[in-house]
Amino acid sequence: MKGWSLPWPKANKRRWLGAVAWLCVLLVGIVAIYAFFVLRHDPTLTNLDHRLQGGSLQHPLGTDQLGRDVLTRLLLGGQQTIGYSLLALTVSLVIGIPFGLISGFRRGLVDRIFMRIADGFLAFPDTIVAIVLSGLLGAGIGNLVLAIVIVKWVSYARLVRSTVLAESQKDYVLIARTNGLSPGKIMRKHLFPHIAGHVLVLASLDLGKVILLISAFSYIGLGAQPPTPEWGAMLNDARPYFQSKPEFMIYPGLAIVVTVLLTNMLGDYLRDRFDVKKEVQS
Amino acid sequence: MLSIRQLSIRSGAKKLVDNVSLSIREGDWYALVGQSGSGKTLLSQAIGRMLPPNLQAEGSIFYKERDVLALSSEQMRTIRGSKLSYVFQDYQGSFTPFRTIGQHFEEYQKAHGCFDSRARQRNALDALDSVGLDESVYKRYPFQLSGGQLQRVSIAVALLLSPDLLIADEITTALDSVSGHRIMEFLAKRQKETGFAILFITHDWRPVKRYANRIAVMKEGQVVEAGEKEHVLDHPQHAYTKQLINAAPTLDRVLAASREEAEIV
Repeated sequence: MKGWSLPWPKANKRRWLGAVAWLCVLLVGIVAIYAFFVLRHDPTLTNLDHRLQGGSLQHPLGTDQLGRDVLTRLLLGGQQTIGYSLLALTVSLVIGIPFGLISGFRRGLVDRIFMRIADGFLAFPDTIVAIVLSGLLGAGIGNLVLAIVIVKWVSYARLVRSTVLAESQKDYVLIARTNGLSPGKIMRKHLFPHIAGHVLVLASLDLGKVILLISAFSYIGLGAQPPTPEWGAMLNDARPYFQSKPEFMIYPGLAIVVTVLLTNMLGDYLRDRFDVKKEVQS
Repeated sequence: MLSIRQLSIRSGAKKLVDNVSLSIREGDWYALVGQSGSGKTLLSQAIGRMLPPNLQAEGSIFYKERDVLALSSEQMRTIRGSKLSYVFQDYQGSFTPFRTIGQHFEEYQKAHGCFDSRARQRNALDALDSVGLDESVYKRYPFQLSGGQLQRVSIAVALLLSPDLLIADEITTALDSVSGHRIMEFLAKRQKETGFAILFITHDWRPVKRYANRIAVMKEGQVVEAGEKEHVLDHPQHAYTKQLINAAPTLDRVLAASREEAEIV
């Protein structure tokens, strides 16, 4: 039995990896939040006199094709991208966890109905859903988040269900029932803590994928709409100037790569820490 | 107090428990004996409506003139724990690993409407004391206790709200004989004090001989023989009962055998 402690690095060969991942994620978080306070430029203020400038004291990373400060847009873009990814994941969790808990705990008919619903959702590939939704409801980051939620919650529901199926066979759940606890209480107090670790691992592994998805859809114009600073959208904005000013594509690209890499590192680390390899891989 | 009338438990078309009738009186130590797979545990689960959803129970189980199988799930929940409680074989699995023993006591009392936190703690410590455990256990996590201690805590939890019937399902099977003996002694002591009935499920004759006053023998989902202990043990009617009794190791036969061996040498 492991203690219910914070997942700080354990004494092993890869402890530095976990520590680095935690530190970097912390750093990205701080940078994204701190950006609010150090902004010297309006991210959407266009100034055509200063378009496509190189780095200077005034604009450390230069200005884009409309004269907007790239650093400001990059920092705020981080807030947009990471924020919406977290939003999409949180909503998926809020739907998926109770769904899986009830399905796994009730079993029988309820489980069968719930799982067929889940299978139905699983049949949609994320790209198709995003394109269809933006076709029906209009392109926008809100609809993109909705599309991600529609696709993602199923995997959480299934993960939670499989864990709960195994756990609820154990005697402590039986004992809790024989002592007259209500099903809601058993799920919240006795089963949820068991699945929290597994869900956390899957969520942190998914975070990278969701960031990529949001950036990718913004890049092709189905996500964040201009002039919102968003990494994918910034990539798209910089595309025509790729030959003359390649750095405007490299900055947001690098930001996406580093963030996704970090979340994957963190996810891998958490997976090792909670030792739930097989569930996550399936 | 509890009477089971023509209870069958089926999984699809297959009958796992077939037409069983039993009645347990107040203060009984009722031993339910049989090999594994004979349906003892299913029968005990049916009493508390704890059967897995793929199994159906037919017939009736009357607890104080009320049919348990017809109660609503809320009514059932108030009975579970307060009137009817269980102790299982797997003491390790009987407690939620990340909650302390004290939290378990707290929660079960809250579920049955004891909202005074001082009273709750006092009840819990009294219950622990009655099975020979001291206060330090209250703050411990389940994995910090030994098997015998855990099983004693399970009994304390089960008897906390002074139920009328305790269902003890192979409670000593996973313990060594010394711990098992202590558990049985505590159980017997508590029963003498409060007079609850015990449905004692086992395949071990030793505790049956020592503590039970009535016995039912189960085989392949049916009760083949039931009655007072002396009657069943001394005059077994059914061939299976005879077989079981003969198969049980007894000290005098072992001694006789070793004496013979010694003589041969």
